[in-house]
Amino acid sequence: MKRKLIITIVTIAALPILYSFCGFYVSKADGTLKNKTSQVILVRDGNKSVITMYNDFKGDVKDFAMVVPVPVVLKKSDIKVTDNEIFQRLNDYSAPRLVEYFDANPCEQVLMYDKVSDAVMSAPPAETEMKRKEGSGVTVEASYTVGEYDILILSAKESSGLKGWLITNGYKIPAGAEEILEPYIKSNLKFFVVKVNIKEKEKAGLENLRPIQIRFDSPKFMLPIRLGMANADGDQDMIIYAFTKEGRIETTNYRTVAVPTGKNIPLFVQKRFADFYTSLFMHQWNLENRRIAFLEYAWDVSPSNYVKCDPCVSNPPDYNDLKNAGVWWLGNNDDDDNNGRQAGGSAYFTRLHVRYNRNSYPQDLAFQVTPNTENFQARYIITHPAAGRFKCADGKKYLHDLKERRKKELYTLASLTGKDADDWDITLGDEENRNIPGDVSYSSLSQTYADDLTKTGSGAAEKILLASAFIVISIGAVKYTTNKNKTTFYEIPKL
Amino acid sequence: MHCSSRCKDPRYFQVIFQAIFLLYGIFYLGWAHEGIYFLCYVGTSLATQFLLELAQHNFSVAVVGFRSKFFNGCKSAVITAFGLCLLLKTTHWYICVLAAFISIAGKYIFRYRNKHLFNPSALGIVATIIITRDAWISPGQWGSDIIIMAVVCCLGFIIVSQVQKLDISIAFLGTYVLLLFARQILYLGWPVDFFTQSITTGSLLLFSFFMISDPKTTPDHKIARIIWGALIGIISFYLTAFKFINAAPVWVLVILAPMVPLLDKIFKAKKFEWLHGSFSQKAKYFMYDSCKYTIPVKET
Repeated sequence: MKRKLIITIVTIAALPILYSFCGFYVSKADGTLKNKTSQVILVRDGNKSVITMYNDFKGDVKDFAMVVPVPVVLKKSDIKVTDNEIFQRLNDYSAPRLVEYFDANPCEQVLMYDKVSDAVMSAPPAETEMKRKEGSGVTVEASYTVGEYDILILSAKESSGLKGWLITNGYKIPAGAEEILEPYIKSNLKFFVVKVNIKEKEKAGLENLRPIQIRFDSPKFMLPIRLGMANADGDQDMIIYAFTKEGRIETTNYRTVAVPTGKNIPLFVQKRFADFYTSLFMHQWNLENRRIAFLEYAWDVSPSNYVKCDPCVSNPPDYNDLKNAGVWWLGNNDDDDNNGRQAGGSAYFTRLHVRYNRNSYPQDLAFQVTPNTENFQARYIITHPAAGRFKCADGKKYLHDLKERRKKELYTLASLTGKDADDWDITLGDEENRNIPGDVSYSSLSQTYADDLTKTGSGAAEKILLASAFIVISIGAVKYTTNKNKTTFYEIPKL
Repeated sequence: MHCSSRCKDPRYFQVIFQAIFLLYGIFYLGWAHEGIYFLCYVGTSLATQFLLELAQHNFSVAVVGFRSKFFNGCKSAVITAFGLCLLLKTTHWYICVLAAFISIAGKYIFRYRNKHLFNPSALGIVATIIITRDAWISPGQWGSDIIIMAVVCCLGFIIVSQVQKLDISIAFLGTYVLLLFARQILYLGWPVDFFTQSITTGSLLLFSFFMISDPKTTPDHKIARIIWGALIGIISFYLTAFKFINAAPVWVLVILAPMVPLLDKIFKAKKFEWLHGSFSQKAKYFMYDSCKYTIPVKET
């Protein structure tokens, strides 16, 4: 059987993302502000970091306030307001993707076509400045107005002081935040406190709040997730888009694991790809004991690299996107030549997805840059059956192969998501199956092999390992105890 | 070779334990795609060992003692190669070849009084990272499930106790863990699970029980060993907690290696004595090399 030719690439924002920040929200009113999914752009080279935090705050902006621990007192020039667009572009570019293939009818001819979507660009913000100082164990190290935000940088001697300061100044902080603040204060971290300047916001005529971008020098390459847990129940998701000169980033205090990729999955998943990926993520996360960072995408996005994705689901980030994201080392884009393609410098992009909660993630996320430049994408494949009739000999063989393939697809689906065919609407896409005999349909296959499909348990490897470890330990123990009674000196060979 | 059965050479155990970790990595942590690199590490280590041993025997396999020395050296070479498999990450096979070559060649090049200076795997790891900038240590790769810690400790304990150098592992781990405890829990006030996560990483425990404990590259005297282990612990702690350097212990182990001859000199008077002191130099050398881990060590 010949399977043929990419025809369409389906662009799907695989995750229902409720974007927000990685710090914690400090509500100024009684509303219960919760942050569930955050998006962050990390740019790192040497000791320099640029962090951009997406803001998708949905309530009354008067109530919005946020605290993020930062390693140094930031200068005004280190704080910028950038555009929401960049997050959308990076998400579209790097989201897990579903690729469609179309079988060629061995008894007929083939057609092919291509489809790609596109996106837009962004503009920089305006800034103003002011400065003051205060007492009570809390020092206001700096105070700026940047774009639509009023920003304070606080340092504190003790958490109760900081808590008190926040409360006196009209911030409501979540219960339990105090004990989390303590280690940060002792680690000499500063607190980056943000609230919205309504006047500036109205002046700029903004509908939504924009992301804040900060840059600083520090050997610490980490993201504070602990504070975010103070006002969130259950699991929170964070998508990290990272740019470095050398290669992928990985977490150093949790395992970084690539999500399963390149899998053939049944056709009926097509219209519910977002559900599919959500279940896959959940299932794999559970299998990995929940203490894990998932790699979802990794690619060389240097302006000089022409192949920035394969297949592309949206336009890859160009020179201006990289600049907006904070990639400072790229050369100047003097001319209009190919969107800065001639610009010097390399940029390597990594997308990590972390689902964290208090129990499984006792530490903040710490990262390191690795020289690993292997490309990676989370890519799933569906294959449409050939159209037409299958009267010729090759056609019969095709149907037989199709049956085997679909059986495998069902099995893959079950092992990836932990759900079997019953959890999906198998009839989706049935119109394509008009000419396919009943016994090759997903519904009949899923019934025939129902027993096989539910047996998705792994764990065999674990048992083998545990058994072998046990055997070795016992041998060792026996040897050790028997040796103890003997002399530890041994015979000297006669020469 | 003929000695091994009599010696109950603990290196066999070490190879088995390391193999278990490697299998755990391959089957459970999903390292299967790195199989080719593992083969490169092992293959190159053995080949380098063979060639260098051959060079020491006038390039003739017929020279007396070559076979036994080579086969004996193979065990160490495999241990070194497994050490690389378990700690060094790269995406190119030739980096693996280079790392394994440096590790083994380092044993023959950097020698002081019939003792090689650097821990072979640690030297290979550090040198390869510095030279190529295309390899890295992945401290998070083992995850930090407590069960791993338990198994590693058990296995590690058996090995080092057979090799009778548990002291250095305990000195290192004890210092490091205590300092970390003092900083993270007592000073900074992090909850206990923050601390347990720091100390249950597979990499730290593998380092403590399988790398630093290598009897050939540690000081001979017990006190010197404890001082040395504690020093590595202190410096590693400083680099980890204040300089945010990942995998600091491996780097410190290599940087402090030249201290070993110095410590051996200072603690000369109480130096371990080979039991058969009256033997000829040749005999001593033979014993030393072929049964190095279980050569009788007796404190006087």
